[in-house]
Amino acid sequence: MDVLDKYKKAWNNQPNDSEKVSKVDIYKMMKSKSSSIVKWILIISILEFLIPHVVFLFVDYDEYNKIYSDLGLGELAFYGFIITYIISAFFIYKFYCSYKNISTTLDTKSLMDKILKTRKTVKTYFIVNLSLFSIYTTIFSIVSLYDKLKPASSYKVFIFIISLIIVLSVSILLFWLFYQLLYGFLLRKLYGNYKDLAKLDEISQ
Amino acid sequence: MQKSLEDKFLNDFETNQNIVHKICRIYTTNQSDHNDLFQEITIQVWKNYSKFRGDAKFSTWMYRVALNTAISLYRKSTRSVKTQDFSDLEFKIKSVEYDDTEEQQLKSLYKAIQVLNDIEKALVFLYLEGKHYKEISETLGISEGNARVKMNRAKDKLKKILNP
Repeated sequence: MDVLDKYKKAWNNQPNDSEKVSKVDIYKMMKSKSSSIVKWILIISILEFLIPHVVFLFVDYDEYNKIYSDLGLGELAFYGFIITYIISAFFIYKFYCSYKNISTTLDTKSLMDKILKTRKTVKTYFIVNLSLFSIYTTIFSIVSLYDKLKPASSYKVFIFIISLIIVLSVSILLFWLFYQLLYGFLLRKLYGNYKDLAKLDEISQ
Repeated sequence: MQKSLEDKFLNDFETNQNIVHKICRIYTTNQSDHNDLFQEITIQVWKNYSKFRGDAKFSTWMYRVALNTAISLYRKSTRSVKTQDFSDLEFKIKSVEYDDTEEQQLKSLYKAIQVLNDIEKALVFLYLEGKHYKEISETLGISEGNARVKMNRAKDKLKKILNP
């Protein structure tokens, strides 16, 4: 007799009614709000999308456009906005598809796979936004300071470029760390479990 | 329509809630987390209930949703396994009519399962529930052969914990 058989017997004979939840309480629970990882990923990605747009609500567009026009960047700003919105619309569609496909009725590995793919979409969206931010900031800084730097020595130009690189790198690093912390906190356990299931498949392939 | 679906769900879920309690017991270490996970599983089962076609037994379908919630969607981890207080667990499985020896064995078994990782817990749980390798592999999304290998390792680990 296997040592586990006696434990299995005890398992099968365990009382079923020691903590029975009533129908009324089950009803209350089924109507309550979920706190699952997927819900939090969804909330964070919506916030990531909304926050920059909410910030724009407080910006005076005429003044904003004037700054760009004065610098001769009116067209660039216009196309920049169009590109940003096309990218955002594409990612909103991707988020929608990802969340629609996540279902607890899938097998465990597929479910984890889909959650991690969704996280990857959020990550790509974040990287694209960060890249656009870096490109726009670089162009804006160079163009707005071009006239002031023109008569300056090459040493000053060098200092300006180095400062720009440092400021951009630090901003990107801070954003990146914040992102890792946020999603690392949410997905550490899931990622560990996923690796545990995936590892076995890799070994046998 | 919605009312009858809710009634049907309540009947099905109430009858099979012991499955959910067992899963909560192995994936949480205190009563508060147990209740949280129980609630999250209730929400997930209800959310997907309209997709349940009835071609499988409700309990079979519920194993998958409940385990998926515990492994993939539930955030609170059982980091403090070594320092946890098992008094909650002992309280939960206490029953007047229950055989003393079996009660002790059950306590030891739950304690030992708590030490396993999340995937091993699922495998051992499905084994204890008498599920076949086919169903286990379909639930977890791995091949039957892999399920066997993984199960043997999990069982060996469990035996070592139970009989060091």
